[in-house]
Parts: sequence; structure tokens; C-alpha cells
Amino acid sequence: MNDRKKILISLFLVLIILPVYAEAAKGVLSDDAQMCMGCHSDKGLTKQLENKEILSLFINGNEFANSVHNPMGCTGCHMDISMENHPQVMTIKSKQEWALKASKSCTMCHADAQIKKKPIHSYLITKAKAPTCAECHGLHAIKRISDWKPQVNVNQYCLTCHKQELSISIKGIPMRLHIDESLLKGSVHNKHACSDCHSEFSKEQHPVKTLEDIRGHSIAVSDVCRRCHSDKFALVEGGIHFIMLKGGNLKAPVCTDCHGFHSVGPKETYKTLTGVPCKKCHENIFNAYKESVHGKAKIKGVEKAPICSSCHKAHDVKVTAMTEQMKGACLGCHKEAESLHKEWLWSAPFALPTLAKLHLDTIACAACHSPVAARGIYLRLYDKNTGKPFTDEQIKKLLGTEPDEFMKRMDSYGDGIDSSELWEIFKQLNKKGAEASVVFQGRMDVQKDIESHQLALKKEAVRECARCHSAESEFFKDVKVAIIKADGRPAFYSAKQEVLGSLFSVLSLNQFYALGGTRLKLLDILFILAVLGGLSVPVAHITARILTIPIRSLKKMGKGGKR
Amino acid sequence: MKKIYLHPIPVRIWHWINAISFLTLIVTGIQIRYRDLINLMSFETAVDIHNWFGFILIGNYFIWLVFYIFTGKIKIYIPSLNKPIEFIKGSIRQAGYYGYGIFLGETNPHHATPDHKFNPMQQMAYLFIMALLIPLQLITGLLLWDIKLFSRWIDLLGGIKIVDTIHLLLFIFFTSFLFVHIYLATLGHTPTAHIKAMFTGYEEEEEHSH
Repeated sequence: MNDRKKILISLFLVLIILPVYAEAAKGVLSDDAQMCMGCHSDKGLTKQLENKEILSLFINGNEFANSVHNPMGCTGCHMDISMENHPQVMTIKSKQEWALKASKSCTMCHADAQIKKKPIHSYLITKAKAPTCAECHGLHAIKRISDWKPQVNVNQYCLTCHKQELSISIKGIPMRLHIDESLLKGSVHNKHACSDCHSEFSKEQHPVKTLEDIRGHSIAVSDVCRRCHSDKFALVEGGIHFIMLKGGNLKAPVCTDCHGFHSVGPKETYKTLTGVPCKKCHENIFNAYKESVHGKAKIKGVEKAPICSSCHKAHDVKVTAMTEQMKGACLGCHKEAESLHKEWLWSAPFALPTLAKLHLDTIACAACHSPVAARGIYLRLYDKNTGKPFTDEQIKKLLGTEPDEFMKRMDSYGDGIDSSELWEIFKQLNKKGAEASVVFQGRMDVQKDIESHQLALKKEAVRECARCHSAESEFFKDVKVAIIKADGRPAFYSAKQEVLGSLFSVLSLNQFYALGGTRLKLLDILFILAVLGGLSVPVAHITARILTIPIRSLKKMGKGGKR
Repeated sequence: MKKIYLHPIPVRIWHWINAISFLTLIVTGIQIRYRDLINLMSFETAVDIHNWFGFILIGNYFIWLVFYIFTGKIKIYIPSLNKPIEFIKGSIRQAGYYGYGIFLGETNPHHATPDHKFNPMQQMAYLFIMALLIPLQLITGLLLWDIKLFSRWIDLLGGIKIVDTIHLLLFIFFTSFLFVHIYLATLGHTPTAHIKAMFTGYEEEEEHSH
């Protein structure tokens, strides 16, 4: 066939087909379709399926008239229905079965090869639970893709499929791909296009991704947040959660664990008792918080009552145990705390603020304000030169051994570090040539992190000096050495109470002193000996004088004799 | 009986303030330290009293210092270093008296005068106490009174435990010394002669026939 013939045949076909499509484009239903619509335009026309589902048999005539399939009429797809056999009794088990059956009609015109041109179709077609054609493309309002695409935005395009109950299986674990449109619309990202985050997807392309595991996908997806929230992400990178993640703990939360994927709410959401994400992992602590003075105030609706992020920060979530951060958080709201403590906590005869400050520096707020808590003394390693905690990394660098191994070796009997062992630790950390000058700084704190959240009303706080300032104080019985790990979390090693009052402590614990609580036992013995010694002088001298009375009497008599 | 005006009124005032302060500080110090064993008063009261009397003692020390320096009487504390042999001999003689001669009824080799108030042993002891031990006790007490305010000074001295230990060792010494001091005060020509003198200013001395 020569070219001229081809052109003529093409022109002929165009002239024949064009009027048909032109007619359809006007939205006019064909005769057989109009006949069907005689019944199916009734919105109340339904059919109960075997599984009791109600299938609507209503067809929107206008939509169908404007659909790409209008020229085919109803019987183009519903080939088994004709005026002769309809209405007939059809047994349909479920909507799902009906959708599958209806979708099979599509393949009459749309051959496999055509469908598989799209990678996502090619992928889905291999899946047993793949959605049917109708689930994504609809039934009677289907438009030509090239006409439809420009009419919808990216989100509408994506949701066409993803509002369906889609899921994939990764190593046998199902991962939902369904997006709840209402949640998406309610999120702070509702003005964003799906492709703003899912940048590799668009109306033009839908690559098939191979995912190793669901958690890895969540972590990878969270990295997307960095594009717009670089400031927050920089904070996150300094937080404990990110450090844990970097350290290989894949359970450590990422952006989406706290904020969700498609339902990201305004930041106020995360400051409410119902919306705070921390409770998902820290449930027991959250429950303790709820019972605290702060939690109760929050429940009552006191807006400024603190919640997790008020103290721990929202993105650069820090470890607060054994740090000064907690004091800063408390004093951040309780700005008058120092002056209020100074009102009763000062050293006579001058009401200086230093004693109150000293207590606020060395005692965790919770140690007094969490009345039910068990307290202990925590000896933290500090570099005296820099004033910063001496970390386990520094110990490793200095001694060439793992800090944990070093500490366990130092506690040779495994019964808790005693004073001589503590002295050995002190000596080794301050060995010749060491760059740092390591000291132990003592601090009173609650024993369990949950207890630091059980804060009570001010009137219930400990304020009797004598509860702490005694060698027999219950608060001085539990002693631990705390070493700050690379991620900021402390590692604790039990020590014996006697370390506080041993002679070694004069040098090894020379930065920790609590009046009455850290007294040296040796000085007690010396005091008793000195009192006995002091008393023995007059006793011995008087005794000697009594015993020598006869000598002096004789001498006096002698003198008298002379006289 | 000869009467010598040995203790001027500023010295007597200083002495008795010192005595009361020392006793109070020892008692309250024991109460603070051994709260689990003794319950004479509350911890807070003991600390308050201890602090108040600590400052009184500091002020009192300056009364002593100013009086002795400005009257020139400070020399009574200073051994005559230009005659060391005589000083050593005098010390041995005095020790011999307390340790031996007193039992034989010998007379005290030292005869106090306003310019030569202390025997060589007293001179040594009181110079050591007044020039070193009391200032050290007052300084360490002051540092312990406010360990935050004086944290730099405390660090210079080697840390809070060192300061506390020095304060404690001196407390132990003074407590022990007090027994000896009070006993020695009874070794006048009558048991109360020296004590009365510290009230009246006049020391009575027996006139011996030679």
C-alpha cells in the first residue's frame, strides 16, 4: 500500500469516526443507554448481595454521557445484559466480586500489553490482592487519561488509587498504602502536593520501589522532612533519639513516629494530653506525669502547665538525668524558685542567696519535690579543667579500655565500689600524663526516671534539713558512680555508702560535702581519742597530785621542823 | 599576798567571749555532726547558733589582735628568740615543774608580770594557737559557712573535703585542749585563783620567804 492510499484510508476513518465521537462529546447518550437509564437513573435502585451488602444500581447519566466509554453504550461492557434477558436474577456474592467481574470487561479492549506499559500496572497485575481497574479508575465516569490528567491536581491523581485500601507486603509484613483523605485534608500539609514529599512520584511517573523493610522505609521517608524543616532537623540531630538511631537502634523514633505520615497536625497538637507522641514509647512515665502536679494542672486545662517537650524539648530531645538541663527547665517556668528557696534556705547570720543556689545546683529538683521518690547520691566524673562531664569516650581514650569493662574490673569483688576501689579509679583517671583533671562531683537525685515525673505540690516537698544532713540519712544509703555515655545517657555503677566517709574521700571525693552526711569515720575515732586524751591529762595529774600528798606533807613538816 | 594587775579589761572581755563562743561552737558542732546520736536541739538551730558564734569569734579575734598590736602587748606572746638557750631552759624548767616539781610541792618557776605574762610553754602554745590555729579555724569555718560564695578559695585549699577536715581536726584539738586549759587554770595558789583573776584582772601571788 502506497502512502497516498494510507492517507486516504485514514481520512476516511477520521471522517466516519469523528462524528460519532463528536456526538458523544456533546454528552448525548446512545439509544440503548437511554433505555437502560430508564431504570438506572433511579437513585434508589439497589440490590442486596449475598453477603448482605447493598449495591447501588444507580448510574449518573450525565457522568456516563461525558465519559470516554459513552460511545460504547452500556452493552459495550455489560455484554451479558440485553433487553431480552434483563432484568435477570444475577447472583453476586459481594461488591468485591462484582468489581472483579466488571473489571474483567476492561481487558476486552485494553490488552495486557497496553496495561503493562505503565510500570505500576505492570507491578500490580502480578499481585493477587491488587485493586481492580474499577477501584482506581471508577466505573461509569471514566475519562480519557489524557483529558482527565490535566483536570486533576497531583493529590487527586494520587488519591485516585491511594484512597483505596492498598497495601503491599514486605517480607511478609503488610504495609498499608492507603491514605485517609480526610486526615490529609486536616493536616498542616494540606496545601502541599503529594509529590512535594514523594518527589520521585508524579502524575507522569510512578516508579516501582523495592523496600527492604518497613522500618527502613519510615526512617528514609523521615529524611524528606529535612527539605523544608532543616532548622528542626538540625535540632533533631543533636537529640538522643537521633543519636540512638545513628548508633544502630532502629526503634529510636524518627519524624513520622511522632508526627505521623499524612496527618501531621499543628504543633499545639503535640502539647496536649491526647496528642503528645512521647507516651507511645514512654507510657509508664507519661502515666506518672499525669498523676503529678503538672499533669493534673494540664488535665484541668491550665494551658501553661508543662508537658513532655516543655522540659525535654521537642526536637533536640536531651537526656536530663544527671545533667543541669532539668534545673534549667524547672527554673525556666519557676523563675521565682531561687528567691523563694532563699526565703528559708539561707545561712545565718546573713541572708545571702548562695545557700539556696548551692542546693539547687547539687540537688535535683525532683529529689525534694517528688515526695515518694527514693533518693540516692550520684558521683559524676567531671573534668575540672573544662567543667564538663568526663565521658566514657574520654575514659576509653585515656585508659584504652571500655569504660564498662574498666569499672567492672575496678569493682573487683562485684559487691559495689568501695573506698579503696574508688581511690584506684580516681588515681587511674588522673594518672601521669592524663590531659584531664578528673574529679567526682556528688549530686542527690531520684533513683528512677519515673520518680522524677511524680512531682507534687510545693507543700509536700522535703524541706527539713535534718532529713539529708545526717550520716544516717536514708538519702545517703544508695550511692552510685555515674559515667555519661556518648549518647548523653548515664551508666551507673553501684558504690558502697562508706565511700562518702572514708579517708580516701578527702582526695577522691574532695568536691562532695554534705554537712553531717559525708563525715569522715576516722575523724570520729580521732575525736573520741582526743576527748579521752584531753580528759586523761587532768585525771592523771590530779591522781598523781593525790598520790603525792604525803611527799608534800613531809616536805611541809620538814620546813616546819626547821622553823 | 601580792596582787598583780595582769589582765586588762579588754583582755578579760575577749577571754570570756572567747570561752563562751568556744563552748557553744563545740556543743553545736557536735550536735551538727552527730545529729543521729545527740538531740540537744534541732539541726537548723544548731547550725544557726554555730554560725552566729562563729562570726562572734571572728569579731572577737580582731578585738584581741587590735588590742595586743596597738598596745604593744603582743610581745608577751613572742618568745625571746635572742636568748634561745634561756628559752629552752625555761621551757624544760616549766615542764619539769608541771610533770614533777608540782608533786613535790615546789613553787611555780614562772612569776607572771604584765610584761611577762606567760611562761615559756604558754608562750609557745598560745603563739601557735593565736597566730595559726585560731585563724585557720576561723578561715575554714568561714569557708564552710558559704561554700558557694568561697568556692574559689576552697578550690585553692584543695577542695571542700580538705577544708572540712582541717576544720574538724582543729575542732578536735580545741576540744581536747579545753580540758587541759581549764585544768591548768586551777593550778594557781588556790584552784580558783587564776579563774578569779580572769574576772577581776588581779592575779594573787603568794609572797615567798627566801
